[in-house]
Amino acid sequence: MIRTLQDVFDRVLDTIAYHLTTYVPPLVVALIVLGLFWLVAKLVRWLMAKAIKGAGIDRFLSDSGLRSMFDSAGRLHGTPLIAGAAYWLILAGGVLAALNVFGTDLTSRMVETTVFLFPKAVTAGLILLVGAWLGQFLGRSVLVWASNEEMPGPRRMAAATRIVTMFVAVVVASDVLDFAPRVFFAAFVILVGGAVLAASLAFGLGGRDVIRGYLGERKAGEQEDEKSLWNHL
Amino acid sequence: MAQSLLPEEAQKAVESVQHADIVIGIPSYNNSRTIGHVVQAAHAGLAKYFPQFTAVIVNSDGGSKDGTRDVVLGSAMQDSQLLMLSTPLKAVHRLSFPYHGIPGKGSAFRMIFQMAKDLNAKACCVVDSDLRSITPEWIDLLLRPVLFANFDFVAPYYHRHKYDGTITNSIIYPLTRSLYGQRLRQPIGGDFGMSNALLCRYLERDDWETDVARFGIDIWMTTIAVAEGFRVCQSFLGAKLHDAKDPGSDLSAMLMQVVGSVFALMQEYDSAWRTRNGSTDAALFGFRYDVGLDAIQVNVERMLNLFRKGGEDLSEIWELALRPDTLRAIVKLTKYSGPVEQFRLEDELWVRMIYEFGCAARDNRLERGHLLRSITPLYLGRVASFVVETAEMGAPEVEQRIERLCLTFEDLKPYLIDLWFGTKSAERKKEAPEARELET
Repeated sequence: MIRTLQDVFDRVLDTIAYHLTTYVPPLVVALIVLGLFWLVAKLVRWLMAKAIKGAGIDRFLSDSGLRSMFDSAGRLHGTPLIAGAAYWLILAGGVLAALNVFGTDLTSRMVETTVFLFPKAVTAGLILLVGAWLGQFLGRSVLVWASNEEMPGPRRMAAATRIVTMFVAVVVASDVLDFAPRVFFAAFVILVGGAVLAASLAFGLGGRDVIRGYLGERKAGEQEDEKSLWNHL
Repeated sequence: MAQSLLPEEAQKAVESVQHADIVIGIPSYNNSRTIGHVVQAAHAGLAKYFPQFTAVIVNSDGGSKDGTRDVVLGSAMQDSQLLMLSTPLKAVHRLSFPYHGIPGKGSAFRMIFQMAKDLNAKACCVVDSDLRSITPEWIDLLLRPVLFANFDFVAPYYHRHKYDGTITNSIIYPLTRSLYGQRLRQPIGGDFGMSNALLCRYLERDDWETDVARFGIDIWMTTIAVAEGFRVCQSFLGAKLHDAKDPGSDLSAMLMQVVGSVFALMQEYDSAWRTRNGSTDAALFGFRYDVGLDAIQVNVERMLNLFRKGGEDLSEIWELALRPDTLRAIVKLTKYSGPVEQFRLEDELWVRMIYEFGCAARDNRLERGHLLRSITPLYLGRVASFVVETAEMGAPEVEQRIERLCLTFEDLKPYLIDLWFGTKSAERKKEAPEARELET
């Protein structure tokens, strides 16, 4: 009985020793690697914040409208943005390097998958960013134009423009990531087809008179303008 | 003549003419109806007032389809038709070429200036091709201060209907005056005289491919002249009667180009306007007299509707440009539902709004086109307010009213300096005036 208990106890100790000798050294190494990457990331962020002249980047952020898109108060600046991106990129590399230390199938697969997906994820992220920017730009263009041209429902038109643009970006991004591309593509076709059909019906049936009246008013307005000698300049 | 921007046929013409003391430029696009009169007036002006000078009349055309260029080349003024006290000694050359580049008045001017420079002209003037009230005296009034009084830039001074030139009266004149301290009453009048030195300065610049190529050209020319310290004056030309300018053209595009040019130049010349306080009269040539003017119909209801609609739709754009207190006052005013005759967009609120838009354009808080086009409903609200306020006023009272607006622009310049340069000198915390409670 005592021998049996001792055998069990020995086996438990062996298992613990096995796990300790198998996992603790890699864990310690992984933590050291992660710590080193963290230090390097901090150093790089500090150096970049000191070295990069942010004026050009700030101008790009302003001119492209990215600044107002993310921060209407205008506090978004290029240098901390780039330094922060470098920091997180190095830290992510550190996490992958630390996982790779374990050398198990699971961690190897995780690292491989991440490395394989990384360019696609970056591409998809950029597509979504461009989509968001384009959606905002087109939305505002439609809003200002429709309001100045006395079109009905400028805000709704602008919102629809933003949604459609963003949806197109999501479809393209999902295709890049290979994430349910058929579902998104089918949804896109249904949405666009439905919108065209609805617009056709609206023009053909219910909206016919409204559109006719609206166009008539516009034409009358234009004729009135042409008769006027009013010169704003 | 290296690096000339002229098309080949224009270069050949320059080589053939070789030299001219005076160049008169006439930009055109489908103006066959009116340009003949303008060319004849220019020709007569040269024959009558500058017979001793060699001169060239240049038509810079934007690709007219209505035979504008044929009219220019065919509408010679017979000297015998004029009562001449002296016989012209030199012939006047008439040239007409299509310009290259972005379609617009600015590109047309660029070709004219280049020809004037290549011909080594002492003075150059430009006149619009749609003028119905131009007389030979205009040529004298635009060129004489340059040729005989050493002025570099001659701006026009017209009698205009009280509702004519509303962008000039509500934004461009008061803003330019408060910034650069010169009272040039028609800074975007379109008919100017200039010296060789000034037109060479214009040609040196590299911003011709911007809004300057279109409606921005007039304020660009005026601003460079006043900001860079050229000697400027005005000439009284009488009434300005002309065809409606691009009646089908988009008001918001026009506003964007003109106001956008002012804002862009504000950025370039901020060190010049920062230190200038108040304003001084510019010398005025010509004999002033009253003239009858065409009546102008203005639809106030429609303007107010656009103003209200702007308040409903564009506040998300305005909030990126305006300070919260200014935005609140504007939005409140867009909800005004009282009698039209009592609607007012007060001077102080309007001036703050313009200054804040100028700063927003400088900071690129949003795409420039969106920002500038979103001013359109605000501008129409201001014009509606001006129209109802001056409905019963005569020309002198209206001029006084515009003077009051100019003084408000000047008084609030420290506010602009504060916003622009971030100094603490002005009354930063002072609230914009709330929209007047007008509902009864």
